[in-house]
Amino acid sequence: MKRWSIFALCWLACSSAWSETETALNKVEVGTDLPTLERGAETVMTVCVGCHSLKYIRFRELAKLGIAKDKVDTWRGSNPMGTAIASQMPTDAAVASFGKAPPDLSLIAKAREGEANYIYSYLLGYYTTPEGTTGNHYFPTTKMPDILAVAGVTDPAQHAQLEQKAREVTSFLAWAADPHAQERKALGYYVIGYLLIFTTMLYFLKGKIWARLDKA
Amino acid sequence: MVSRVLGWIDQRFPLTPFIKHELTDYPTPRNLSYWWNFGFLAGFVLVLQLATGIFLAMYYKPDVNLAFDSVQHIMRDINYGWLLRYIHSTGASAFFVVIYVHMARTLYYASYHKPRELMWWTGQVLMLLIMATAFMGYLLPWGQMSYWGAQVITNLFGVTPFFGDQIVLWLRGDFSVGDATLTRFFALHYLFPFLIFGVVGIHLVALHTVKSSNPSGISLADKDNIPFHPYFTIKDLFGLGIYLIIFCTFVFFVPGTFIEAANNIPANPLVTPAHIEPEWYFLPFYAILRSIPDMLGGVVAMALSVLIFAILPFADRTSIPGGAHYRPVYRAVFYVFIADVFLLGYVGSQPPTGYLVPTGQVATFIYFATFFLLPFISRWEERWMRTRGLPSELIALFEKRPPREKYQHKGVK
Repeated sequence: MKRWSIFALCWLACSSAWSETETALNKVEVGTDLPTLERGAETVMTVCVGCHSLKYIRFRELAKLGIAKDKVDTWRGSNPMGTAIASQMPTDAAVASFGKAPPDLSLIAKAREGEANYIYSYLLGYYTTPEGTTGNHYFPTTKMPDILAVAGVTDPAQHAQLEQKAREVTSFLAWAADPHAQERKALGYYVIGYLLIFTTMLYFLKGKIWARLDKA
Repeated sequence: MVSRVLGWIDQRFPLTPFIKHELTDYPTPRNLSYWWNFGFLAGFVLVLQLATGIFLAMYYKPDVNLAFDSVQHIMRDINYGWLLRYIHSTGASAFFVVIYVHMARTLYYASYHKPRELMWWTGQVLMLLIMATAFMGYLLPWGQMSYWGAQVITNLFGVTPFFGDQIVLWLRGDFSVGDATLTRFFALHYLFPFLIFGVVGIHLVALHTVKSSNPSGISLADKDNIPFHPYFTIKDLFGLGIYLIIFCTFVFFVPGTFIEAANNIPANPLVTPAHIEPEWYFLPFYAILRSIPDMLGGVVAMALSVLIFAILPFADRTSIPGGAHYRPVYRAVFYVFIADVFLLGYVGSQPPTGYLVPTGQVATFIYFATFFLLPFISRWEERWMRTRGLPSELIALFEKRPPREKYQHKGVK
């Protein structure tokens, strides 16, 4: 027993050392249902893509995800289905207005400490400074404007609406960063289930084989 | 039919005698605990890394402009590419968990003693090769942490007296980590596993010459040795099942655990990440590097911290077998050492500020003190144990088998 607890401790130590959470990130339960993803995609495709690209996502994948064909057609315009989602703003223009190219969003939900929680907190993290400009609690030097118009919202109902919107965007970006996550988890249950049965059988087989020794 | 085919082969190649000698008749101590499963597991992980790695290499592009995209292509577009890549990236960490436990078991039972010194040293060569392979493999996804990790580590070789700059240039193939570095790291990352395979062969030949150690540290009487097959094949398979359950939980449910967030950003030589941190399996050594205020001293200490394990067969000067199994002082030293390694790992994972700096220095001191004090501790412990009277269990074992014969092995008859 003692040995196993040491082993378990080692595993805990190995797995917990990297789950240090950033201070005061708001937790978000990422949605994986189609309506949430579709509404998130709507915001991303009509608002975020104004400046950001999603170069690892093609329009075809949005359709494959289950988003209505006519919506995808509106977003892609005359581009073929196999086109990667590009930013509507040329890089030069972006650099001229913001000083740097806006990052690609395909992997953004995995590319920041805190992952989805960070994206969610960041989108809602805008506030009005005493000087009358907007700042962000989670990324003070951000060049991105307060796109959801969070700063200055005092009405709780309105804020709740923005929270929902931020959650939808985060959910869509989380899908974009890891499009096979659902498939992976679904397969994982079968794999673990199979291994549990197989290992249990091996355990009894081991007992049976080792029992030969005691007879001798 | 089968026996005729086997007969045909056996006239030309000793297949049946080989299986008999190495498996069905190979004598294995009956009292091995589950800690003895980890050698087999390490072999399994090696094969899995090789198999997934070869398929990944079919789609991966070792070019600074294509590497990051090609990894995303594998993750998104290739059928089950995400599975191959997550098995491979999780497998790297799993490899270190397995070999560190394998080493810790050797330390606990002091299995490195005569006649297994060569097992210990070939194991050390394997560890160095695995570390080098993991380090080079980590550059390949060409993320921010890949790039800056390689930049920092290759830079360390610059402290070599006289040729420092030339060595760094030679390693990178360029003045800073770039396309030349990526291409050569890819080539070597593909080569090294085969070197590892070769050394594993030597490790196993040595093992089958000296046979497995066991918790008592004394070679057992013939009746307490049992054939490897089927007793240990089934035990290893059961252990493998447990291992795979844990491994697959990571692969399928939390595969991002061992991938830094910053490594999902393409490498950018112009932007240094706020906190460059090596993979967890290098953290204790990294903490030792940072604990020495002088750069050359730090690099020497780090190299020494990995290599110093080699002196153990000489440093542990005792004639009492079984390591921590029978020796209370050695057991205490073992646990202090393991706790110290965990402490160093923690210090290595944090930015070097405040009380962590002296903590790291004390932990580094304890790390090396363990090795340098062991010759004295082990002598003193043996005298103390002999005056106090050896454990009756140990005396019984000695009576069964006189001490001068304790390292002789006899096969199962």
